[in-house]
Amino acid sequence: MAIVVNLDVVMARRKISLNELSDKVGLTLSNLSILKTGKAKAIRFSTLEAICDVLECQPGDILGYVRDEH
Amino acid sequence: MSKTDNFVFIALQVITWIIFVGLCIEAGGLITNFAFSLFKPEVIQNLYQKLDLSEMYERSKSAYFIMYGFLLVIAILKAVLFYIVIILVHKIDLSKPFNSFVSRKITLISYYTLSIGILIVIARQSAESLLQRGFETDKLDQFWGDGQAFILMAAVIYVIAVIFKKGIDIQNENDLTI
Repeated sequence: MAIVVNLDVVMARRKISLNELSDKVGLTLSNLSILKTGKAKAIRFSTLEAICDVLECQPGDILGYVRDEH
Repeated sequence: MSKTDNFVFIALQVITWIIFVGLCIEAGGLITNFAFSLFKPEVIQNLYQKLDLSEMYERSKSAYFIMYGFLLVIAILKAVLFYIVIILVHKIDLSKPFNSFVSRKITLISYYTLSIGILIVIARQSAESLLQRGFETDKLDQFWGDGQAFILMAAVIYVIAVIFKKGIDIQNENDLTI
């Protein structure tokens, strides 16, 4: 998919674990894992807002666009 | 799921089983009739529905085998169709029905229904053309059923199968929305 999720990069920068993020954002570990591995098909604004709030970042830090070669 | 839905679903399971058993008996009876008509024709009067096509056999073997072929294939396909319906009604989870298994089975049911419908129409036409040539085919009418109804049913079931496929896509997308 052309949209890439850089959640792991931001998490590493903030030195926050998946468990901690899960507790603070209120998402299940499995859902966060789906998001982190790029398997998610969509993300709600409310989820994005909560993640940005906890990680103190912008949506663009978490999501990026890479042009598909094929 | 409400109590009424639950009751209707259990009733549906029982009815499907009854129809399946009936169709198995019919298919089995016709197979037995066919075997006896070939190897021991004198006992055919005591067998299922007293279906005696010996006159047709004497006049034209090919007509006899074609008509019996239609009878057997249609009866077996109907039994198989209801076997698939039984598997479906036993394994479907009404609280979460949108999965690939249910979609596959519904599509399969539509294909079987369409095949049965087409075969019935062809068999009926063949029987009519044999009737015009002086063969006695009125005994076979009870076995054909309504071919057009089967074809219509196949179309409706196919539409349901397509909607189910779309439902599965939507559910998958919903499951992967974080």
